Amino acid sequence: MNHDCLKLTTYFGERHRTATQFVADALLDLYGRKELEVSIMMRGAEGFGRGHRLRTDRILTLSEDLPMVTVAVDTRTRIENLLDEVMSIKRHGLVTLERARMLTGEVGAVALPEELHEATKLTIYVGRQEQISGTPAFVAVCELLHRRGIAGATALLGVDGTAHGVREWARFFGRNAEVPMMIIAVGAGEQIARVLPELGVLLGRPLLTLERVRVCKRDGELLSPPTSLPATDERGLAIWQKLMVYASEQARHGRSPLHVALVRRLRQTGAGGATCLRGVWGFHGDHAPHGDRLLQLRRHVPLVTIIVDTPERIADSFEIVDELTDEAGLVTSEMVPAMASLAEGRRQRGGLRLARHRF
Amino acid sequence: MSLPVWIAIGLLGGIGALGRFFVDGVVAARTALDFPLGTLVVNLSGAMLLGLLVGLGLKGTALVLAGTATLGSYTTFSTWMLETQRLVEDGEATLAAANVVISLVVGVSAAALGRLIGAHV
Repeated sequence: MNHDCLKLTTYFGERHRTATQFVADALLDLYGRKELEVSIMMRGAEGFGRGHRLRTDRILTLSEDLPMVTVAVDTRTRIENLLDEVMSIKRHGLVTLERARMLTGEVGAVALPEELHEATKLTIYVGRQEQISGTPAFVAVCELLHRRGIAGATALLGVDGTAHGVREWARFFGRNAEVPMMIIAVGAGEQIARVLPELGVLLGRPLLTLERVRVCKRDGELLSPPTSLPATDERGLAIWQKLMVYASEQARHGRSPLHVALVRRLRQTGAGGATCLRGVWGFHGDHAPHGDRLLQLRRHVPLVTIIVDTPERIADSFEIVDELTDEAGLVTSEMVPAMASLAEGRRQRGGLRLARHRF
Repeated sequence: MSLPVWIAIGLLGGIGALGRFFVDGVVAARTALDFPLGTLVVNLSGAMLLGLLVGLGLKGTALVLAGTATLGSYTTFSTWMLETQRLVEDGEATLAAANVVISLVVGVSAAALGRLIGAHV
């Protein structure tokens, strides 16, 4: 299967509740009921959003309502049929829709469409305890991507989700073997295309998506600023933009960890919001894939910081990102064709009709 | 100890915990620094209050209720330790050391100051 799909992402707080349950559970119950091809729920490490309240797992009192992110991918029709129900779950937060190409089953040689040639974001979904000849699948995948010279990859742990249409969630006791993880990799289009058949062989039952991105910075070097996008498309639909900053927990700006400094600066300068996700394994640049070890003082895991806003405000945020990633980090930008923000369960701004813009 | 005292310890412990949750929450939300200031404020104010109560001459059951039950659950050793460990993990060695040293030095001083005030009231 090689489908044009939609990726539905939601951002909200861990403690948000509907009348009967947590928003996170309500969303994942819905994704499970609809047997979505793949969905995953992740708990953020730090972030802020509407109201500018900072949440972080670094301070106990500020960690009781951490940011949550859910990602769901399926065919356009199936995702669009879901939107009314997703939006009817009352909460504060953001919802975005992005175009993605999904590959499942046999992955042969893939001719990437021209638009994916600049740079491609490859997302690979694997089970949390899936093994490939005795090695955890996420380690084996990162190893392969690193060997093939891909710019970077980050493995993020899910706590709930669906894979191949089946609900899998993490229980306190139990092996949680199939709870999905996502590995986000960024590389040149051709490099990604070459590695796809190998991933197909490695994984047996691969579940992959491909998206178009621009690599803005790598290890302190400015490659190209985010694409300059208009505020709306020809039909007047708002266009949004996303920045993602990938860095190790060890990366610093001044004396603070890079992601901490970044979130702090963005919050001070009035950015709309930012969410950090902490990975369990990954690499960027020439460093070998790394994660936490059993005995260590400091953490060695990768972090991803996500910022979604209007193109104009993303240009402002990029100035901060650029300044803070003067030594380390991989920065990418993407167009987001639809975004809606919710407050008190009502749509505040934006909408979920997909904007169209060629660049 | 009588049954009413046991019950009072439980109730006052609950009130102390709520007090901590409130104070820590307010401080942390307003400052949102990299430093766990909320926990520090709670521990320092708790140390000073306990010093004050001892200075005022509280003894026996009253001290158990106010000190062990209320202030005991108001202040927190475990959060102090955990947040210090998180700072070390983030590579913030200076902040981690400051969190330990300030808590100890200012904490002991706050308890002493509380006693002094209590004794002179």
